[in-house]
Amino acid sequence: MKKTYIIPFTLIVLISLLTGCWGKREVNELSIASAIGIDKSEEGYLVTVQLISPGEIAARTATTRAVVNTYRATGETIFEALRKLTLETPRKIYIGHMRLLIFGEDFAKDGIGKVLDFFSRDHEIRTDFYIMVARNTKAEKLLNILTPVEKIPASKIYSSLETSSKAWVQTKTVQLDQLISSLISKGKNPVLTGVVIKGSPEIGMDISNVEKVDAPTAVKISTIAAFKKDKLVGWLNESESKGLNYILGNVSNTVFSVHCLKEEKLAVELRRTKVKIKGKVENEEPKIDIKLWAEGNVAAAECEIDLSKPENIYAIQKKVAERIKKLMEAAIKKAQDDFKSDIFGFGEYIHRADPKAWKEFEKNWDKEFEDLEVNINVAAKISSTGTINKSFQKDVEE
Amino acid sequence: MKFINKLFETKNKHTKTNKNNQLESMNVLKSLKSNLSENIKFIKTAIGESSDIVIRELRAGEDGKTKIGIIYIDGLVDKALIQDSILRTLMLDIRKVRVESTISSKKKFFETLRDFVLPEGDMKEIQDFECLFTHLLSGDTIILIDGYAQGFAASSRGWEDRGVTEPNSQTVVRGPKDSFSETLRTNTALLRRKIKDTNLWIETKPIGRKTKTDVAIAYINGIANDKIVEEVRKRLNRIDIDGILGGGYIEELIQDETYTPFPTVYNTERPDAIAAGLLEGRIAILVDGTPFVLLVPALFVHFLQSPEDYHQRFDISTLIRILRYVSFFIALLTPSIYIAVTTFHHEMIPTLLLLSIAAQREGVPFPAVVEALIMEITFEILREAGVRMPRPVGAAISIVGALVLGEAAVQAGVVSPIMVIVVSITAISSFVFPAYNMAIAVRILRFIFMMLGATFGLYGIVLGLIAMVLHLCSLRSFGISYMTPMAPFNWNDQKDAIFRFPQWSMFYRPRLISQKDMIRQQNPKVEKPKPPQ
Repeated sequence: MKKTYIIPFTLIVLISLLTGCWGKREVNELSIASAIGIDKSEEGYLVTVQLISPGEIAARTATTRAVVNTYRATGETIFEALRKLTLETPRKIYIGHMRLLIFGEDFAKDGIGKVLDFFSRDHEIRTDFYIMVARNTKAEKLLNILTPVEKIPASKIYSSLETSSKAWVQTKTVQLDQLISSLISKGKNPVLTGVVIKGSPEIGMDISNVEKVDAPTAVKISTIAAFKKDKLVGWLNESESKGLNYILGNVSNTVFSVHCLKEEKLAVELRRTKVKIKGKVENEEPKIDIKLWAEGNVAAAECEIDLSKPENIYAIQKKVAERIKKLMEAAIKKAQDDFKSDIFGFGEYIHRADPKAWKEFEKNWDKEFEDLEVNINVAAKISSTGTINKSFQKDVEE
Repeated sequence: MKFINKLFETKNKHTKTNKNNQLESMNVLKSLKSNLSENIKFIKTAIGESSDIVIRELRAGEDGKTKIGIIYIDGLVDKALIQDSILRTLMLDIRKVRVESTISSKKKFFETLRDFVLPEGDMKEIQDFECLFTHLLSGDTIILIDGYAQGFAASSRGWEDRGVTEPNSQTVVRGPKDSFSETLRTNTALLRRKIKDTNLWIETKPIGRKTKTDVAIAYINGIANDKIVEEVRKRLNRIDIDGILGGGYIEELIQDETYTPFPTVYNTERPDAIAAGLLEGRIAILVDGTPFVLLVPALFVHFLQSPEDYHQRFDISTLIRILRYVSFFIALLTPSIYIAVTTFHHEMIPTLLLLSIAAQREGVPFPAVVEALIMEITFEILREAGVRMPRPVGAAISIVGALVLGEAAVQAGVVSPIMVIVVSITAISSFVFPAYNMAIAVRILRFIFMMLGATFGLYGIVLGLIAMVLHLCSLRSFGISYMTPMAPFNWNDQKDAIFRFPQWSMFYRPRLISQKDMIRQQNPKVEKPKPPQ
C-alpha cells in the first residue's frame, strides 16, 4: 500500500469516528416534559415543569410512585429557569414532546408575549402543543393535580380540550403559531381556553386522588379568556364562548336545546356550520356581515310535536337560528363593551375588504371596534329527525 | 481501490510465468505414435499410473494380428455400455461382419472400424495426446489401434448423478418442481425439454487449465442480442484460471463490476426461470458440476422477482412484488432508522411510543447503536451457524438463539425488547428476497447504514440512500443499465418490473435486452367466452 492511499483512507475512517455522535442523546438520558407552566415571580418567571417518569408509565406491575413529577425554578428568562432545573432533575429536560403550555392567570394579565419567543425559537420544540390559561390559580398548582384515566395529567388536559372543542363548542384549541399570528395581527386579538382546578389542590397532589372512584380534585376545562394584545382582559362565560366559536367557524359538532312549540325542550345536534364573514366600509364606517349556515338534526324531543310536518320543522329551524344568533350577539357585546378587544379578527376582514381605509382604522382599531356595526344572519336547517318521527311523549302522559 | 488493483497486477505477472511453464509442458504432449505399446506407456507415465485408469489390450482382425488398446477411467464411464458396444463388438461381433475381408487388409482397418464396426453414437477421432487426455478424463473411452497414429474417443460418460430433484433454494407453491443437477448434459436436456426450438443454441467450451470444466452458453438465436452474446463469449474466452468448480467462479470472473455489494449476474437452479430468461433474450451460462445456472444480463428488478410470480395470478403477484420492495427497505433501513430516531430525532416519535421506548431502555447500559450492533452481529452469527451446522444439531441453534439470546438478554437488561423487535423484523424481511445474493447485498449495506445513522442521524441515512441510488444507476450488467427499466425509464417494460401485468397484456420482450424479435405475442382480439346456450 502506498502512503497516498493510506492517509486519505485513515482520515475518512477517523473523521467519522471523531464526530463522536455529536448531538447524540439516548432516549433514556432524557427527562421528558409533558407540560410547562409559567407564573410570575419576584425574580422574573416561575417555571413549573411536569416531567414524565417513563418507567412508571409503561410499568407492567403497579407501583406507588407518581407517574409524573413537577419541578419548579425561578429565573430571569424561561431558558435560564429551565437550565436551573437541572439542579433538581437527574437529567436534562427535553421539551420536544410537551403537550401543554399553561400560563397562570396573574401572569397572563401582565402579558404573555415575551415568553413566546423562546418557544418559537427553540429547535427542540414541536409546535403542536396547546396553550391554556390556569383560571383563578397558578399554573404551578394546576400541574400538580393527578388525574384518573389518563396517567399523565398534561395528556388528560390535552385530550379533554381537544375532544371538547370538537364535540362541545365552549372551548378552543390554540397552538403556538395561531397565538403568535393573532398577536402580531393588528386586526385581531388572541383568545386562550382556561382550565380550572375543581376541588382542593392539596388533595389533588396526592396519589390517593386517583385511587377513588370519584376523584375529589379534578382538572376541568373552563371557558375562553379574551386578550387584548398579549394581556388577559377577561373571561367569556359559557354562552359567549360558544358565540365566539360560531363566529370563528370552529363549530363542527355540538348539542343545544331549544324550546319546542311550547315550553318543553327539544335537543338539536348541529353537525355542520359554515360561516362567511364579510367586511365593508360604508360612509367611512366599517361594517361586518356575518352569514352563518347550520345543519343539524333533532336529537331528542320532550314534547308533543309531529316532526313529519314541514311547518314544525320550519319552526324549529327558526328557533335554532335565533338561538345561535343570540349566542353570537352576546359574545360580540361582551367583547365590545367589556373587553374592548377584537377577539374575532373583524379588523382583518375590514383590512381585506378595504386596505386603504384600513390604514386609517388600524391606528385606533380598538376604539373603532367598540362601535362596530355587526349584522348577523343565521340560516339553520334540520335535515334529519332521527329514527322516529312523532314523539311518544303524549302516550306517556295518557 | 487502486491499491487493490495494484495487488492484482502483481498477480498477473505471476500467472504469466506460470502460463509459460504450462506451455512448455504442453509441448511434450505431442501427437500420437503408431506404436500402441509406446502410446500406452506414455499414457501410463503421464497419468502417474493412477489406480482408477483401466487399460485393456486385445487382439482383433485376422488371426488376431491387430492389437487394440482400450483405455478408460473407472467410475466416469458407463461400464455396461463399454461392455456391450465396444468390447463385445471388437471381440465377438466383429467376426460376423461381412466386411471381414476388408479387415484383413490392414490398411483400411481403421476406417472399417469407424464406418462399419463400432456401434457408437458419439465417436471422435483423435490425433494427439492433449485431445486424448481431455476425452479420457471427461469419461470417454479411448480406442487405440496398433499401427495407426490416431484413435477413437467413444462417448461413454456415465457416472453417479444426484438426478433431477426439487430445488432447495427457490421453492414455489405452484409451478414446476424440477431443478438443475450437477451434470451439464442433464441441465441442457432440461432446457431443451422446455424450449423445443431449433434456435436454442448451446455452445460449449472447456474452461480451466486443470479442471477443464465444460461451460456452456445457451441462448435463443434471433431473440438474444448478438452483441451481448459476443460479449459473453469474449469474457469467457478471457478467463485463464486453473480451475472452475462452480458458477460462482465464472460469475466473479465475468461480472462488470467487482466492487459492489449488488449482484450483476443472476443465478438459479430452476429450469423454468432460465427458460423464461432465454425467452426474454437473456443468455444462460451452464457450468458442469453445479446446479446453479447463471443468467445475464441481470437487472435489479430480476432479483426481486420470483418464478412463482408467473405461476400465480397477476394481482397477487403484483402485490407480493410490492411487498418485496417494502421488505427491501425494511431489511435495509429499520435498525439504522431506529438508531437515528432514538439518538437524534426524538421529536419524530409519537409521544406515547417515545415513553414506551424510554421505559424499555431504562436500565439498558449501552447506547442504541451499540445495542443494535450487538443484536445484529449476534443474529448474523446465529444465521451463519445455522447454515454451517450439521443438520441434526440445527435444532439446538434455534433454542439457543431464540430463547437464550432473545429472551434472556431482554430479561437481563442487556438489550431492550424493542431492539429485539427491530432485529427480528429486519431478519424476517431479509428472508423474503427470492434471490439470496440480493439478500447478502442488503445485509452488508445494513451495517453501513447503521453507522451512518449513528453518526449523522437521518441526514446520514438520506445521504447513504442517495449514494446507493447513484451507485445502482452507475452499475451495468453486460452493458445494460442495472436499474432498467426505471433508469432509463421504459413504459412497456414496466409491465413486468415492479408490477406483473396479466400474461395477455405482455406483448413485447424487454426492450433493452433483446432488441430484436420484440414481439412476444400477437393474439387476435378474442371476444369474451359466452356461456353455452
